[in-house]
Amino acid sequence: MAELHIIGQIVGASGFPQSSLFCKWGVHTGGAWRLLSGLKEGQTQVDIPQTGDMAFWSHPIDLHYATKGLQGWPKFHLQVWHQDLFGRSQLYGYGHCHVPSSPGRHRISCVTWRPLGSWQEQFTQMFVGGGLQLRNPDLIYSGADRYRLRTEAMGTVELELGVIMRHFDKYGVEN
Amino acid sequence: MADTWNTDTGEAVYRSRDAVKNLKEELVVGWQEKLFSQYEMELFQNEAACQTPLDCQYHTEVNALNKAKGRRNKRIFTYTDHDRYTQYLAFHQMVGCSPTFLAERMASLTHRRSDRRTVDCSIPKSKIINWEPTEEFVKSSRVVNNAMQTMHIMGDLGPPGRLGVRENECLLITIKTDGIGTIIVKPDFNKGKEPYRIVTEGEKREVWCLTVENVSTALKADEKHREQMMYKDLYVRHKDYLNSLVGQDFEMPPVGVLRYMVNGEIVSAKGFEYDNLYIHFFMELPNNWSSLSSQSLSGVTQICQTKTLGKENVAFFSYPFSFEAFYMCEKESEVPQWPVLYFKVLSVDFWQRYRTEGYGYLLFPAIPGKHIVTCHTWRPLQTGTVSALKRFFIGGSPELEDQSYVRIPGTFKGERLSRFGFHTETTGSVTFNLHCIQQARVFVDATMLKKRRQKFFDQLGGFSQQGAVCTILEAFQRARRRMQEARESLPRDLISATSQLQNESSA
Repeated sequence: MAELHIIGQIVGASGFPQSSLFCKWGVHTGGAWRLLSGLKEGQTQVDIPQTGDMAFWSHPIDLHYATKGLQGWPKFHLQVWHQDLFGRSQLYGYGHCHVPSSPGRHRISCVTWRPLGSWQEQFTQMFVGGGLQLRNPDLIYSGADRYRLRTEAMGTVELELGVIMRHFDKYGVEN
Repeated sequence: MADTWNTDTGEAVYRSRDAVKNLKEELVVGWQEKLFSQYEMELFQNEAACQTPLDCQYHTEVNALNKAKGRRNKRIFTYTDHDRYTQYLAFHQMVGCSPTFLAERMASLTHRRSDRRTVDCSIPKSKIINWEPTEEFVKSSRVVNNAMQTMHIMGDLGPPGRLGVRENECLLITIKTDGIGTIIVKPDFNKGKEPYRIVTEGEKREVWCLTVENVSTALKADEKHREQMMYKDLYVRHKDYLNSLVGQDFEMPPVGVLRYMVNGEIVSAKGFEYDNLYIHFFMELPNNWSSLSSQSLSGVTQICQTKTLGKENVAFFSYPFSFEAFYMCEKESEVPQWPVLYFKVLSVDFWQRYRTEGYGYLLFPAIPGKHIVTCHTWRPLQTGTVSALKRFFIGGSPELEDQSYVRIPGTFKGERLSRFGFHTETTGSVTFNLHCIQQARVFVDATMLKKRRQKFFDQLGGFSQQGAVCTILEAFQRARRRMQEARESLPRDLISATSQLQNESSA
């Protein structure tokens, strides 16, 4: 049995059209992994930056996993949402990134995209907000079912993760 | 009282006419145990002086003491945490000078803050933010202070027979503790140095010597041992609990096989001519590599509309993929060839015109760890305006029949690869994030022997260096197999058998 610690933070996001943002995040793993302690999903606060473009959340991540195999390495699923001054939320992007498999401190930039509708939908989105969301976000977790999905590029989410691995070398894992 | 006297200033030695027991007092004081001074005894006897419930409690205690044998302490008494004198004694220690205004405010602040902390600390979630903090709140919130319990041990240093005068009270020792295990003793233990000197005011200036000693019994050896065993037992139990959650085993590849796993993402593509890009990729496994049947070796990303970042148009895919392959090396001297990922970038537009934007390849890294790789792409070009017009108006462009031509064509057998006469145009680049892991049984032995990292084929071969049991067994199996094969083929044709043997030995 090997153990993996993921300790870090979701620093913030930048590059989005508007900057009053919050993030829903979650970590998904395969069947051989077991979460020993920590919260594997959550939602940050809404941050409205005064200067600059980057919204900072500094949301802590502290996870402890135990595993029986290498398959299903944990990966992050992020959804960046925008909350406007009327309190409405609209989706600004989906992003996915794997947790690094080498120990140490990693700075990860996870890019995001959001589904794109027709011309009419984009036009109304400009005025009213809203826009398309995936009905079931689980379908895109593996990446296999994204064919013919039309999307547009959005901003980037910054994560700082420290990875500590234990007993992996006892089972012959080199990283 | 101490028995050494300093002789620097001219003190006199007094002989007291009182009995020695009046001058010597020995007391064992419990934590936060309230011992009354003479002054307090007289004060609390009078019921009219009681203002707070604490005073009333003291009143009843004093009455009880008076009815009983009387108090057991004469000169030594205590102020506990609850008494109102506690906060002011901090600066009353400075004999002779009155406390400054700031010191007074600070002392009352810390006392008030520790008071508030002892109240129930659970704050409801709706009240996390204090929208209108008062000035007091702002001032007190600056101080980082653990809640501490204080106890003062005082001595009544008046002349014998005239105890109970407030002015003769003197602070001997202050002990503060917080719940976690910090104990602050002021003044500190003497530790063999000279005792502290307390000078009393009044007509007869007496000098008292104060010695503070740490007489707590240290933990005996066997108790310490017992404590350590208890900790060890606790950790073992916790470890067993963790093991039971997941299980002790770990999935390992078979002997002599290397498992190579890549967790990665196709991050982005930039610098391409048209918009609405998507990437179609597949992995190629060279000889001696295999993968599970459930492993999908190809994929298509979503179609992404680019946005302008800096000077280029970039499309974000954020497409995670996971790739696992096994390498079985037959011959020890062979350098393994790593799998390759071939990809092509295409664009679709509103009129459903597909255009090839670029071809590229990514050689998976041999070193495990994190890799951020940017691959540049090109697309085949047909000279002449006709193909350019065709590409612009109706889409479609020359495509590669064999995508492995991007790197080394699969059909290539010669020594020199020549691409002479092949026209291409440089297009954009694609960025990948790769996290590579390698796992093999031989790595376990390497770490056990604490060797430095060697090249991969050294570790998989080279049983003479490591002497590990499994590699020896493997080699033995191989040799045995070869011998069996040789022996089988020998009766058939002697000449061909020897040539076969020669081939095998040179391989």
